[in-house]
Amino acid sequence: MRELTYLEAVKEAMSQEMRQNEDVFILGEDIGVYGGAFGVTRGMIEEFGPERIRNTPISEAAISGTAVGAALTGMRPILELQFSDFITIAMDNMVNQAAKIRYMYGGKGKVPMVLRTPSGSGTGAAAQHSQSLEAWMAHVPGLKVVQPSTAYDAKGLLKAAIDDDNPVIFYEHKLCYKTKSDVPEEQYSIPLGKADVKRQGTDVTIVATAIMVHKSLEAAAELEKEGIHVEVIDPRTLVPLDTETIIQSVKKTSRLIVVHEAVKRGGFGGEIASTIAESEAFDYLDAPIKRLGGKAVPIPYNPELEKAAIPTVDDIVAAVKETLNRL
Amino acid sequence: MVKEIFMPKLSSTMEVGTLLQWFKNEGDAVAVGEPLFEIMTDKINIEVESYEEGILLKKYFEEDDEVPINHVVGYIGEAGEQVPDSPPGESGAAKEEEDVSDSRQPQLEDLVQQGITDTTSERTANEPAETEATAEKLRATPAARRAAREENVRLAEVPGSGPKGRIHQGDVMAFTSSHTALKATPLAKKVAEAEGVDLKEVSGTGSQGKIYRADVEGVKQIASSPVEAGGKRVKLEGIRKVVAQRTLQSKTTAPHVTLTTEVDMTEAINLRKQLLGPIEQQTGFRVSYTEIILKAAAYSLKMHPHINVALEGNHIIYHEEINLGLAVAADNGLLVPVVKNADQKGLAALTAECKRLGKAARENKVKPEEMSGGTFTVSNLGMYAIDAFTPVINQPESAILGVGRINEKPVGVNGAIELRPMMVLSLSFDHRVIDGAPAAAFLTELKEALEQPFKLLA
Amino acid sequence: MTQLVNLPPRVKETDLTGLLKQMWLIRYFEEKVDEFFAKGMIHGTTHLAVGQEASAVGSIAVLEDRDKITSTHRGHGHCIAKGAEVNRMMAELFGRTTGYCKGKGGSMHIADVEKGNLGANGIVGGGFSIATGAALTSQMKKQGYVVLCFFGDGASNEGSFHEAVNLASIWKLPVVFICENNQYGMSGPAKEMMNVEDVAQRAEAYGISGKVVDGNDVFDVMNGVGEAVDRARNGEGPSIVEAKTYRWKGHSKSDAKKYRTREEEQEWRAKDPIARLRDVLIEKGLLTEEAADEIKAEAKKEIEDSVEFAKDSPMPTIDDLMEDIYA
Repeated sequence: MRELTYLEAVKEAMSQEMRQNEDVFILGEDIGVYGGAFGVTRGMIEEFGPERIRNTPISEAAISGTAVGAALTGMRPILELQFSDFITIAMDNMVNQAAKIRYMYGGKGKVPMVLRTPSGSGTGAAAQHSQSLEAWMAHVPGLKVVQPSTAYDAKGLLKAAIDDDNPVIFYEHKLCYKTKSDVPEEQYSIPLGKADVKRQGTDVTIVATAIMVHKSLEAAAELEKEGIHVEVIDPRTLVPLDTETIIQSVKKTSRLIVVHEAVKRGGFGGEIASTIAESEAFDYLDAPIKRLGGKAVPIPYNPELEKAAIPTVDDIVAAVKETLNRL
Repeated sequence: MVKEIFMPKLSSTMEVGTLLQWFKNEGDAVAVGEPLFEIMTDKINIEVESYEEGILLKKYFEEDDEVPINHVVGYIGEAGEQVPDSPPGESGAAKEEEDVSDSRQPQLEDLVQQGITDTTSERTANEPAETEATAEKLRATPAARRAAREENVRLAEVPGSGPKGRIHQGDVMAFTSSHTALKATPLAKKVAEAEGVDLKEVSGTGSQGKIYRADVEGVKQIASSPVEAGGKRVKLEGIRKVVAQRTLQSKTTAPHVTLTTEVDMTEAINLRKQLLGPIEQQTGFRVSYTEIILKAAAYSLKMHPHINVALEGNHIIYHEEINLGLAVAADNGLLVPVVKNADQKGLAALTAECKRLGKAARENKVKPEEMSGGTFTVSNLGMYAIDAFTPVINQPESAILGVGRINEKPVGVNGAIELRPMMVLSLSFDHRVIDGAPAAAFLTELKEALEQPFKLLA
Repeated sequence: MTQLVNLPPRVKETDLTGLLKQMWLIRYFEEKVDEFFAKGMIHGTTHLAVGQEASAVGSIAVLEDRDKITSTHRGHGHCIAKGAEVNRMMAELFGRTTGYCKGKGGSMHIADVEKGNLGANGIVGGGFSIATGAALTSQMKKQGYVVLCFFGDGASNEGSFHEAVNLASIWKLPVVFICENNQYGMSGPAKEMMNVEDVAQRAEAYGISGKVVDGNDVFDVMNGVGEAVDRARNGEGPSIVEAKTYRWKGHSKSDAKKYRTREEEQEWRAKDPIARLRDVLIEKGLLTEEAADEIKAEAKKEIEDSVEFAKDSPMPTIDDLMEDIYA
């Protein structure tokens, strides 16, 4: 199988779907000849034309609402927001409109749209272009939230997101764009709500999202040298959340660490930790659940400070050892 | 202002005392120093005297009740003063001390007390409270708690390996593999231990099969009923009960090995003959072989400090003193008064002390301090037709010497057969702390000391 | 009334007595709702369009069935004008399962997606970009329908207005933005909240047509909106039509109307759009007084029947609570 980067996988998922479904189109800022802020749509306007690769004015409120209106009337728009931080401006349309329309209308109408957006720090873009606000969206009933960590997952999950009849927020971590994995050429779909065990282990379960999946795997490889077997689970979608896979894993390992880049306070890790505490896995816990998340600080510009604001591989290794009383 | 009467702690190992009898009734006047009640500890029966003057206002416990140390037994005060209707538990003064010294102590005490209450009041009603008290105070992971539930382990008894003593699942599993971890009241456990009843064979009548004292006693009765038919039943109590507990404890925890050797007592007999007069003149007592053997044992122990040891947790304690216990058969059981610093005492002093202690023991008047601190015990059955035997170590000591009768036997001496007064010494030792070779060397030393007793003058 | 002497072709072809009936239905529906709220028979809140019947009925009168509307929090009139069944509307306000939203939406969220009503909206300015999105679908799928986007004078001060109108303009989307200027955004007088006389003037900023019509004159509304709809359908892009009108009632159910005078209210009551239409029809010989009274009685009866229908309808069960969140 050939390798693709995460970025190429996202593009391929969109292109393949657009070739066979006229209702699918992309709208967003600078996605035309420019190719999008991170180059995801580069070359697509040449294939699909400006009608379906719609370059928009810098109007996040309008384009998000336009996506909602188009979806409500039969299209399947993909909205690209240049940075996930800008969701603040699109928030009303996602939270008050897209998420609620079907329910408010008593089950009539549907809003099949995907809001794709790059998130996370690590590019020196500082406080307004580096956030991980996925927990906000996960909080809102009616939205689905996807956070792929690998190229393979990105392609399959994006296909599923486009096929879904609900508004889906699709977070692409900027540092994942260049990561590679084997990606089948044909279209395939990874169901939303199915976690992936990225590494099997018996001693401790790490639930990690996005770039933290990679850091957790790195930490797990290091810990393996010391005879510590870490299981790494990537939920892949926060909503719906595959609680069963996580619960079963924790029942097996008796220990849980949740790792995400988003600020720990109010982050989704709290949701996962609580889910376990409330579940049958509680009685199997043999150590306090640990959360690793970003510090409660705006992402700083200085690269050293930027790195220090979020969990590192060393932090994860230390957390595992602490959980195992092996410090 | 009412004054607490509490269960005194009379020895380092004492956890509970059994109330044997009250000398006063509620409403009686009590003077300072007057005996209030009699208790039995794991070592001794003793009268507890009043520290206060006033009226005995309240007695919370009946005869035969077991009371944890420092728990309030009753109150003395002025007539008409109010006291609690039910036992208030631990004495206020004791609690403060305990809190400072060991934060877990009160909780353990609570558990012990709970166990007692179980037998005297509604059992099931006490059940949740006990679980709650255990659950709230301990640091244990959910998995450890689940394991404890499933294995019927009291978490309070499990040492935690995690931060701040947090108990993990592995700690519980390790505990269960090393303990008979059945759900039983502390009292039931004590009784089972004393009666030699395996708790696994007892079906508990409490919730979730919890075992109470009555359950243990029921099994004991069934087991012994064929023998009992027609005979009389005597309650195991007092010293008998203590001996039962302690010998069982010793035999089940210390791997006993017994070495024997035969001693030619010719010279020792001569020595005794020569010393009989002088010592009687000096002390009024006739020196016996016991004292000579004690003297020789003390001498040999000094030469072999590896025998004069005790096992405490993971440490071997080498005693500086040589304190010899002397097993004495009293009416109701075995008592072991202790001769302190026996190596520093001459035969006259030893004789005087042994006679006095033996008498006190037979009359049940040995003081607790006279029965503590032993480092080695001598048990002499030489007055009977016993040649050799396997004595049970008197823990926390690690070795005991059994002394048989002196008996004329034909022995080979320089190629000829002669009749000699022979005596067998049996040394039982705890193989956990003492190996065979040093034990053999010690016993050889002892044999030679008795065969050439002038060595004792060295 | 003089401008009605020469009725334009569009009006001539219209069932004018039907328009009168619709206006009466709106009037009676709103008055009934007002009464029930006052009596505590309906909970929540509501925004009544009494006095604004002509702008709703006139605008929608020029639409084809396939055309769509987006509505506002003051949306009962739009809904009735777009052909909704008053039974189901009333049932919705009573929170019944027979309501348009199965009792889950209430006054502010009545939608009838099949009939082209994309829904009322509780967010002021929330409908702009949904309308542009629906118009985008029409354009991309070449479906030929036009979207009417109702909004108020207050909503024209929302940022979403600017973004959506600009987007509609640059993409020449088939949408008509209809401002029902009822003089107050809640308590805020329009003349204090913006520094132009007419919302329609703002059209110039986006390079589109802006026209003011008499919102209490159903024919003037029909003419103004009709022209804009024609342009939209012809691919000439969006327009703004501003209908000057007045809400007789307060903003919502708890409004003491301290911000305006009783004299002003009397002035506008004298311009009652229903009376004006009735008078013209009689004057033109298109309707007898008896027939007019009969229409009024019919409307009243229909609303009273709708109350019976609503009261007889079943309440939702708790089992319905979690239904219809996702498609």
